[in-house]
Amino acid sequence: MSQSLSISKHAAADAADHSPQQYLTFSLGGEVFALGILNVKEIIEFGQITEIPMMPAFIRGVINLRGAVVPVIDLSARFGGSGSTVSRRTCIVIVELGDGEERQDLGVIVDAVNEVLEIPRADIEPPPSFGARIRADFIQGMGKVDGHFVIILNVERVLSTEEITLLASMNGDTSAGEEQ
Amino acid sequence: MDEITSVFVTESREQLAALESALLQLEHNPGDDDTLNAIFRSAHTIKGGAGVIECTYIVSFTHVVENVLDTLRNREITLDADLIALLLACGDHMGQLLGVLEAGASAPDEELSAEGEALLQRLQAGKGASTQAPNTNPTAGTPAAFDALIESSGGGAVETDCWHISLRFGPDVLRNGLDPLNFLRYLGEIGHIERLETVADAMPAAAEMDAERCYLGFEISFSSTADKAAIERVFDFVRDECTLHILPPHSRLNDYFTLINALPEDLMRLGEILVRVGALTQHELDEGLSAQLAPLAGAAATDAAAPTQAPQIGEILVEHKVVQPELVAAAVARQKQVSENKAAEARLIRIPADKLDRLIDLVGELVIAGASVNLLASKSGSEALTEATSLTGRLVESIRDAALQLRMVQIGDTFNRFHRVVRDTSRDMGKEIELVISGGETELDKSMVEKLGDPLMHLVRNAMDHGLELPAVREASGKSARGRLELNAFHDSGSIVIEVVEDGAGLNRERILAKAIERGLVQAGQALTDAEIYNLIFEPGFSTAAQVTNISGRGVGMDVVRRNIQGLRGSIDVSSEPGKGSRFAIRLPLTLAIIDGFLVGVGEAAYVIPLDSVVECIELSAEGSERDYVNLRGEVLPLLRLRQLFGMEGELPSRQNVVVVHYAGSKSGIVVDQLLGEFQTVIKPLGSIFRHIKGIGGSTILGSGEVALILDVQALVQRCASKEAQHVPGAARALPTTSRS
Repeated sequence: MSQSLSISKHAAADAADHSPQQYLTFSLGGEVFALGILNVKEIIEFGQITEIPMMPAFIRGVINLRGAVVPVIDLSARFGGSGSTVSRRTCIVIVELGDGEERQDLGVIVDAVNEVLEIPRADIEPPPSFGARIRADFIQGMGKVDGHFVIILNVERVLSTEEITLLASMNGDTSAGEEQ
Repeated sequence: MDEITSVFVTESREQLAALESALLQLEHNPGDDDTLNAIFRSAHTIKGGAGVIECTYIVSFTHVVENVLDTLRNREITLDADLIALLLACGDHMGQLLGVLEAGASAPDEELSAEGEALLQRLQAGKGASTQAPNTNPTAGTPAAFDALIESSGGGAVETDCWHISLRFGPDVLRNGLDPLNFLRYLGEIGHIERLETVADAMPAAAEMDAERCYLGFEISFSSTADKAAIERVFDFVRDECTLHILPPHSRLNDYFTLINALPEDLMRLGEILVRVGALTQHELDEGLSAQLAPLAGAAATDAAAPTQAPQIGEILVEHKVVQPELVAAAVARQKQVSENKAAEARLIRIPADKLDRLIDLVGELVIAGASVNLLASKSGSEALTEATSLTGRLVESIRDAALQLRMVQIGDTFNRFHRVVRDTSRDMGKEIELVISGGETELDKSMVEKLGDPLMHLVRNAMDHGLELPAVREASGKSARGRLELNAFHDSGSIVIEVVEDGAGLNRERILAKAIERGLVQAGQALTDAEIYNLIFEPGFSTAAQVTNISGRGVGMDVVRRNIQGLRGSIDVSSEPGKGSRFAIRLPLTLAIIDGFLVGVGEAAYVIPLDSVVECIELSAEGSERDYVNLRGEVLPLLRLRQLFGMEGELPSRQNVVVVHYAGSKSGIVVDQLLGEFQTVIKPLGSIFRHIKGIGGSTILGSGEVALILDVQALVQRCASKEAQHVPGAARALPTTSRS
């Protein structure tokens, strides 16, 4: 436990140094989350998703984003819950990940997009070691907004391409031998 | 690195490749003057280019090489194998020097310089005393001889003690508020303008002339104590908008030739060139002109500038001994070259690859948008609209094909690189190997050709090292001492096949099997076919060479080869016959960007099957509903049910269809719900997170905007086969990779 605490303290220190001050807040399963605005490319209406067979549940499929094929992640399934149910307000937030040559766009399904907020660094608390119901390393910090906490997500962890690739390939492996 | 330098590096690398292949050609066919001239030209072009960008270390090295080539051309020394090897090494060194330039270093490091020095000494030693002999000129009159003559005087300095400045202003100079005259005045402040010649060749007829454009250029003979940098500084303000060449006093004649060759004017009059270079005065030229024009009487004034007259001017000038013959020759060569270059330029345009990629992307979007228009048109029911869209569709299709064609390059260049490899390696190993290339004109996607180089290199080296035997061994087994290595390329049912074939000893079945058992790749006692055993060599960590040589045998080669080929959506296969040799066949898709697809529906989803692999479509009979194979006109056709394979739920439709596909000689049937017809498909990569997915080759966007997945037929079939192999206990496992349970 002390180890995870020190990690999260470290993350909070990082957040205080570099994190952007503007955040996009959205709701998912009744909880309010926030994403650094610099990672967000655009927000689109929930549309036709093409499922990819033999993928874990949190990879919902791919969409056509003006000619580019973009994978879509179901955040709620990624956090260990059941998948999102689509409602009138369901949106896909397009997030840009990575830097330099290795840029990758990912779509994230959220129940509803709320607003763009400025959260002062002073109002960001380190994440709790448990209690948020999602993995501690997914959380960058807890922002205080109007007396409520919003969970600021660590995008690089939540949407870690390596981890998702690994999970995707493991799922494919259950039925066929994977070459290694 | 600035643009000029990068263009120079690219072009010089091409020249080096040409030089190398010409040298190798010369080895087989010594005494071929054309080839020798080609080699000389390559070296000369590199030197000239290096001079323009002021890369002294390349100039000085290439200069010596050029001199040796010149003596060769004049038959003062003869060409032998050693000299060719030495010249090849020099070519390599020039390549390394280009690397230094590319890396942005100001000079090569010590090691490289020492290497260059050693090469130069060997070159000088090879030249011997014969170079002192006076140049004989047995074939005067041919351009080659002229060239030789020109180079022979390359060391001599011209008499004038003035700087020579060649200046061409860009068209927008005036518009940008700069007055050419001001620069000349300023130039006058740091020295004295001895002679100035205005070049108004670019000036159009009065009616077309735009008074705001600058059409002028100047040739200036300039005496000054200022250094080159100072003179250049005069033109700092117009540096981007003018072409500036500066030759120092007492420049070597050669430099003037470089300048002649670098000047932009087309088919310029010979006399003018000579005046511009400062090699003769206006007076001398006038004299020559009047001598020529005398018989033409009245027509003189109009015809003086006609290009066809120009060579005659040259001859007359020589007669009058006003110019040295080599100068005229250079100018004649230049005139010839201009017209040749023009023809060549019309055929070739250099385009940055990313511009091309952008075009292909756009064409891809156009194809998708076109499909959507088609869909709407057929829904609208308007006949005229449908007709119009189908016409558009056909045009888009042609544009697509033409755009894709832009990316296609012939594989021949890649193949030809191996002449050198084969030559060097066979010498090192004491083997005699003949390289036979066929199908070099087969075209494939440029990006694919680039990625194919390394795997091919591995295969060729392997074939030479492990495949082909030493001459003595070959003769003992009744074969000719000279081994034969073939590189073939050809089209086969929508893919391209590239083969590396040798007539060596063939793969040793027993040794491969023993090794595979020792490595735990297969179990002893497994029943394996020959093909399966041979293909074991592509497994990681597998190498049968008893001895690791510096050519191959580290056991990292073959699995890397297979992985590279698979990365290109291709496959590799080996077949072999003891004592007769072996054949490696690489099978690649035609392009990485667009394919013709066959659209099928399963449940809600749509999938695309590459049309190349589709043979026919049939309805699923009652027999096929019960078991996983059907009778296709007497053949057994195994069935692959997409619904099951992809774990799709939902009710089975009343009718199911089978798409019969073939891959590498075997047929199978893919069971789908609906057949939706042919469809042009732009392949969109699925992104790195799906890179391990088996059975899906990519995705595409349908006319409706939906994403459809493209099936990878080969992977699907293999997947089903390996699945069944796992179900049957004790069955032979084709490949160890699929045997994990």
